[in-house]
Amino acid sequence: MGIFDGIISGFFIALTPMNLLFALLGALIGTAVGVLPGLGPAATIALLLPITYSIASPVAAVIMMAGIYYGAMYGGSTTSILLNLPGEAASVVTCIDGYKMAQKGQAGPALGIAAIGSFIAGSVAVVGLTLFAPPIAEFALSFGPPEKFALALLGLLMAVTLSGESVTKGLIIMVLGLLFGTVGIDPISGKSRFDFGVTELQSGFDFVTLAVGVFGLGEIFYNLEQQGNVEIVTTRVGQVFPRMADWAKSRMAILRGTLIGFFIGIIPGGGAVISSLLSYAVEKKVSKHPEEFGHGAIEGVAGPEAANNAASSSSFIPLLTLGIPGNAAIAMIFACLLIKGVKPGPFLIVEHPDVFWGVIASMYIGNIMLIILNLPLVGIWVQLLRVPYGILAPVVILFTAIGSYSIANQAFDLYALIAFGVLGYVLRKLKIEAGPLPLAFILGPMIEGSMRQSLLMSGGSFSIFVTRPISSTIVALFAIFIVGQAVLAIRRTGRCSKAQKAA
Amino acid sequence: MKRFLISSFFTALVATLMLAGTVSAQDKYPSKPINGIVPASAGGSTDLMSRAIEKVWPKYCPQPLVVVNKPGGAGVVATEFVVRSKPDGYTLYLGYGSGHDIVMPHLQKMPYDPYKDLVAIARISVHSVVVVTGTKSEFNSLPDMIAWSKKENKPITTSVSMKAGAQDITITAIAKAAGVNIVTVPFAGGAEAVTALAGGHVMLGAGHPSEVAPHIKAGRFKPLAVALPQRDPSLPNIPTLKELGINVSTWGSVKGIGAPAATPKEVVAYLEATLKKVTADEEFKKIMADLDQPIMYLNGADFAKFLQEVHADYGKLIKELNITIQ
Repeated sequence: MGIFDGIISGFFIALTPMNLLFALLGALIGTAVGVLPGLGPAATIALLLPITYSIASPVAAVIMMAGIYYGAMYGGSTTSILLNLPGEAASVVTCIDGYKMAQKGQAGPALGIAAIGSFIAGSVAVVGLTLFAPPIAEFALSFGPPEKFALALLGLLMAVTLSGESVTKGLIIMVLGLLFGTVGIDPISGKSRFDFGVTELQSGFDFVTLAVGVFGLGEIFYNLEQQGNVEIVTTRVGQVFPRMADWAKSRMAILRGTLIGFFIGIIPGGGAVISSLLSYAVEKKVSKHPEEFGHGAIEGVAGPEAANNAASSSSFIPLLTLGIPGNAAIAMIFACLLIKGVKPGPFLIVEHPDVFWGVIASMYIGNIMLIILNLPLVGIWVQLLRVPYGILAPVVILFTAIGSYSIANQAFDLYALIAFGVLGYVLRKLKIEAGPLPLAFILGPMIEGSMRQSLLMSGGSFSIFVTRPISSTIVALFAIFIVGQAVLAIRRTGRCSKAQKAA
Repeated sequence: MKRFLISSFFTALVATLMLAGTVSAQDKYPSKPINGIVPASAGGSTDLMSRAIEKVWPKYCPQPLVVVNKPGGAGVVATEFVVRSKPDGYTLYLGYGSGHDIVMPHLQKMPYDPYKDLVAIARISVHSVVVVTGTKSEFNSLPDMIAWSKKENKPITTSVSMKAGAQDITITAIAKAAGVNIVTVPFAGGAEAVTALAGGHVMLGAGHPSEVAPHIKAGRFKPLAVALPQRDPSLPNIPTLKELGINVSTWGSVKGIGAPAATPKEVVAYLEATLKKVTADEEFKKIMADLDQPIMYLNGADFAKFLQEVHADYGKLIKELNITIQ
């Protein structure tokens, strides 16, 4: 069966009333999960797994699960923009300019462009998934430890560019993130580090707890201080939909974000985060007004949001063609399929063409459902900001706590959440942009682990990073970036001192 | 009318509550859903086995089994939770015999005794360690690869799921038994380790059947050996290490069901009997076969004895190989 016949047969499967219903259900639950702070797709799918036992057809079950997963990516931007609450790793970047836009009364355009960008990226990525799944899967496999090391290192460099005005503060906060990342059992030596005898810490801190605590709770604690005039965004909602000018600015950002997300997002473990970071950095670089970034640049929302949606679609490729789940939520879908007697992997397309093509076709339909669902919702979400802060804040805290607990079903994460909230508050007081913290937290262990794995592979020789084509290319990019920045900085100071002398 | 509705609602509510009270007081175990604590995150092999039990369980028990994942502290959080929970049969430990029960106690201090503080109910499966290489590899057998390594004086790089876990220990034991230099590259979990081998970044890999069998069937991996004392029932065509002349065997990772030590005998007996029925169920057999997990049922008493043996075996190996976590 060719690709064309395949996708046509897939549409026949996905368009049956039952499967349409499950796709809609997935889109609805996904949007809700994305919007509720702290509650992630992985925890939700795990909760719903027992329900799928009684859904007779595996196609329907997976259509719903997949809908929850990419639907959460649509909804995830909502809390990032409105409340500075990143629901998952890939939307940390969205917080930076999205929340600034909301504070300026441009929550509507930010949410609108995020939804439109998500739709375009999601749809384009599904087309890519339809046409090129197998060769792209091979590309993902070619990322071994040296390549991951180089990529994560590049990501870390990008993370520092998020630090706003002061690079020094950015570096400080980055190191803090790296330190938090070292807590727990080190896979390479098997030793538990910095656990202070607390069993729960042996698995390290959880990303969602850290991000939601530092960003969301920190923001709420900070606002508590502003007695009486906690208007944050409340009174200035502004217009609801993006204007033509916003669209003109974001068009190319969405396109670039889609491409970056599709290719980088496929790399198992951390691909989606790096792709959103990379997209942000690229937009800042190509922009004619890079100084607007960090102060509510719409491209800074459009690009990364497109990237993380494209990544959420392309992360299905290793699952469907190789049987390798790339992240926690995809692992859940993997489990659901296995329990249903369907084995994802190279034979899926032959053994269960109905599942393979049906799910892919449903993703076209699901993306359309999501944009129809999300665009009108923008108006409603924006109204959410009119809810008095005294009501909104406790509700947000409640959901964050539930979400945080649901990750590992342990009360310890609630204490960690509060501690990270206090940290977020302190950073806010010190006027330190917290963006690099969660990113360094995720990238640090990737860098450390993959570097030590690479050196074990090469017998201790660092040449492994420059003798392999992909990693040497990324390392070269990294070097060019560093040298370029240094040269720029030297020239700038040189010009300044000359100017001073002239004056 | 409205008042009537409200009052009848409350009457019904009170009646239900009274009924519920009498039922739970008189009814014998189980009278409410049973929580099955899994020491790993959803989607892994222990979780999948637990989900298979969860799915078939309602056929043999009037109350459902509810899987709860507690992946914290490398599994220790889950086991400690079960150890400290009320011994009434409503909190079970799914995955008893995992690495943190049979390997970890030899390497670090545990907050409980995994044998004295828990009662063994039944063994469900054994996840053996399978040694594999990529299909593109020039070697077709483990002895060939070992001979090459000795001749060229080059190490064999091998991906394992974690440091000082069952796979790492097994591979290190092979290196010692065959007198060859093997460098184990630990990853953060089985999926990552398998992916590294699939991409050809290491020469050799070790994984449980559920992790490697799909890749063997897909023609991506060549199976070389199984580390069990006998062949693995889920992979009957793969020779054991002993058959290849390498005197190494381990039990990999054991997957059984446990409960707090003080759980009443009749409750344990009930659960044991129910699990026996579950493991004999055709649907369960089909799911487990799909998951590449062999069903190896043992009753509580035999399972307890088996666990002691496996624990002692690992203790001996760890001492011999001088494995520590530093």
